[in-house]
Amino acid sequence: MTADLRLPPTAPATASGPTATPRRRRRRPRVGTAVVLVVLTYLVIGPILMLLLSSFEDTSAGVVVRPPFPWTLQNFASVLTASKTYSVLGATLVFAVACLLVGFVISFALAWIVERTDIPLPGFIYVLVVAPAGMPGVISAIAWSLLMNPTNGFLNVLIRTVTGSQAEGPLNAYSLAGMIFVQGIALVPLTFLLITASLRNMSPNLEDAASASGARPLTVMRRVSLPLLTPVLIGALVYQFVTVIEGVDIPLVLGLPGHVTVFSTQVYLTTHSAFGLPNYGVSSTYGILLLVLAVAPLLIYNRVVRRSQDYATVSGKAFRPTRRKLGRWRWVTFVAVMIYVFISFVLPLLVLVYASLQPFVGAFTLESLSRLTFSGYASTFSSSLFWSSLGHTVIIGFVASFAVMAFSVALSWIIVRSKSKLAWIADVLAFIPHAIPGIVIGLAVLLIYLLIPAQVYGTVWIIVIAMVTQYISLGTRLTTGGIAQIQVGLEEAARTSGARGWQVWRSVLLPLLRPAIINGFMLVFLATIKNLTLPLMLQSSDNVVLSTLIWNDWNDGKVTETAVLSVVLTAVTVIASVLLRRFSGSGEELK
Amino acid sequence: MTSGIKVDHLRHVYGNPGNEVVSVHDVTLDIGKNEFFTLLGPSGCGKTTTLRCIAGLEQPTSGSIELDGVVVVSDRIAVPTHRRDIGMVFQDYAVWPHMSVFDNVAFPLRVGKKLRRSEIAERVEQALALVNMDAYIDRRATQLSGGQQQRLSLARALVRQPKVLLLDEPLSNLDAKLREQMRGELRLIQQRIGITTVFVTHDQVEALSLSTRIAVMNGGRVVQEGTPRDIYLSPSTEFVADFVGATSFIEGIATLSTPEVLTVETDVGVFACATNDGIRAGDSVTLALRPESVVVGDQPTDAENSFAGVVELSLFVGDSVDYRVQVGDRLVRAKGSARTQFQSGARVTLSVSASDCVVLPSTVTDEFAAASR
Repeated sequence: MTADLRLPPTAPATASGPTATPRRRRRRPRVGTAVVLVVLTYLVIGPILMLLLSSFEDTSAGVVVRPPFPWTLQNFASVLTASKTYSVLGATLVFAVACLLVGFVISFALAWIVERTDIPLPGFIYVLVVAPAGMPGVISAIAWSLLMNPTNGFLNVLIRTVTGSQAEGPLNAYSLAGMIFVQGIALVPLTFLLITASLRNMSPNLEDAASASGARPLTVMRRVSLPLLTPVLIGALVYQFVTVIEGVDIPLVLGLPGHVTVFSTQVYLTTHSAFGLPNYGVSSTYGILLLVLAVAPLLIYNRVVRRSQDYATVSGKAFRPTRRKLGRWRWVTFVAVMIYVFISFVLPLLVLVYASLQPFVGAFTLESLSRLTFSGYASTFSSSLFWSSLGHTVIIGFVASFAVMAFSVALSWIIVRSKSKLAWIADVLAFIPHAIPGIVIGLAVLLIYLLIPAQVYGTVWIIVIAMVTQYISLGTRLTTGGIAQIQVGLEEAARTSGARGWQVWRSVLLPLLRPAIINGFMLVFLATIKNLTLPLMLQSSDNVVLSTLIWNDWNDGKVTETAVLSVVLTAVTVIASVLLRRFSGSGEELK
Repeated sequence: MTSGIKVDHLRHVYGNPGNEVVSVHDVTLDIGKNEFFTLLGPSGCGKTTTLRCIAGLEQPTSGSIELDGVVVVSDRIAVPTHRRDIGMVFQDYAVWPHMSVFDNVAFPLRVGKKLRRSEIAERVEQALALVNMDAYIDRRATQLSGGQQQRLSLARALVRQPKVLLLDEPLSNLDAKLREQMRGELRLIQQRIGITTVFVTHDQVEALSLSTRIAVMNGGRVVQEGTPRDIYLSPSTEFVADFVGATSFIEGIATLSTPEVLTVETDVGVFACATNDGIRAGDSVTLALRPESVVVGDQPTDAENSFAGVVELSLFVGDSVDYRVQVGDRLVRAKGSARTQFQSGARVTLSVSASDCVVLPSTVTDEFAAASR
């Protein structure tokens, strides 16, 4: 690995002078680069080794981490010969492709409307489109099962009242279509953020030039805007593909009652088998298959980002964004966007608020409105478990997000700017954690810190470490795009002005990256406090967080308590997203 | 003349072993103090890489560089960019969009040795005044036009009073009128403050009008080095003659070569030419004719160095008329007076004085010139 950096053999002293022996000079070693790569390797390789180890072991008596290892190929043999594996794979692919289609079409349309048209209140729309990012998958799945379950979902009851039908349905959340709908719109906030960030950084001159060449608006979008956004879009597609295939919450809440099994649920079920001990070996084997499924698109993505110089659309030159006039479609578009916001965010939230105010959940009637009570809130707020969970959630969110963004910025710089061959490896290392199911990261981190005598097991810090491992990829995707869009010349100008490394970072790179960093911080923060899998895997009595509390209550059938906690957690994340948005300062161009 | 910049046997190779691209072959330059030295050449000739090696933005594969007597690159050392005493202006300005005009210019002073706030303000104002930008000191950098951004970029490069100023095609993004204006100002400023300057361009007019000396580069090598007058009037190769100005070439055979007379026989006639020690009678040679040295007339003449042709193209460009004249099977370019314009199709007589007939040995029609066609 170091062979590339080593000097060729020194020329003999008798050679005919310095110029007669051309040789490559060594770059000065960068301490920062080394530290970042070592830490990242530890965070990423650790879980992968655990994954491999347990998949090749007979884990019927738990995972063995010291010799003698009970080596076996039985896990792979049983997984690969089961016909169930292939039907699950098929369902997973249909689910993933359909979700991505739904999510990306909606996201691109919304992003373009907010960034490039004169729609009223773009800042308001932005916040409302991003706000559902704060709603954990498990909560939106719960909300939609309250709305659309075939027996007494509120929407079904409403439709049956209108049509006079007595049968079940007609809507069914417990189906592949229902899962696609809920997961598809759950992809929108993150996808929307990614696309708006790069639209904002892309010079509108490029679009204006196409208009001036006689292209109609749709042609401009198809021939100029979309191709220019290619690295960002493909990056986001690859990323969200993995999000869909590894996500366990929506497939679990909606898929299990409807007997739709995808890969992630299969992993979950083998880990949490109803009878006997969990089979971590088989679970890890499924994890490795998921990893393979996720790495293929990554290789395509790498080819694209390597050519990122072709897409450097931020230059030192000034530009002023221009916005397309929608004319009489202005308010029509606004109303359409508002209807989307209502369906994707307000409606599920209303259902949860309603459920949280009921002593028990039944059909929605006028009579049930008279039963509204705050007793659910009262008992929740008087519980010390609730307050400690809230505290843990916030601590984990802030510490993990800060660490992730610090690593991400450094790592992206290595990936995009360094000419080292290690850059490609770093890119893969930064991505792989996202391809490992969270449950496996959780398991691996758990086992690692049972071995290492550091006092983190059972504390919030073990969750922080697992979160950093999982979300380093999210952060790096964002900062890599951000750095790829900063022209190298801006950095070089600082160096020729006499700035040393850290001064270039402080004065030029970090300020220019600020929107990307703050976006990233916000996203990681939200993802962290939404995350159920890692806290659940690493749970002890001392590190319960809000998401684990919700899961436990839902599992116990406590619908009102679940609804109260869901409303509270959603409120926290919505407030967090609005506050962080304000700090980012990029709101000014949205006025 | 003491050395401002010394570049010795510079070689730069891109890529990995086995898949190498040599961008700079073997460049040696000795640039005097306060010279305005230009690297001129087509894109990909290695001029920008050479400049970036001087700045430290690229590490040469071998060779050494000295700035103002200080070795910054040799076999043993490579001084990082920020410790070199330079100022640099980039083609795309590289003005930091998140800083005001003042902050952009103050940056080199703030990252360097500690200065008092008042001193920084004073020097920023001086630098901005030098480029006539003092009125914009409080603007945001993104509120400036292209020309203003380039002035700002120049002020930023000069503010810490470096020993060496590096200019990477600074004018090529500006519109023609602005470019002409900035060209004059650039030279004026450079003369006023006295700073060793390396200027990279592919525009021969910029190179000729600004430089004290020019190195014409092609294929990673310096093919000719000299004053603008040398380069323009006595190009040593066809490539230089062609690249520096729109020269017409006529092949022929030298029939007589003495220290006093050089005659060349071509298929359009016999030419008396400027003497050239390197040419012997019998050599295959190429005549290089500058458009402005070719006189266009309508009176047939038997005088030496004149030949008949038909005007193919006649372009009025304001101060003159550009002609393409069909002579035999070749087009000869000529520049005529704006007073009278021959229309296309007119039969004309071209003549050129012996001292304007530059003879180049055909054998030196090197591979670069061939490659660049």
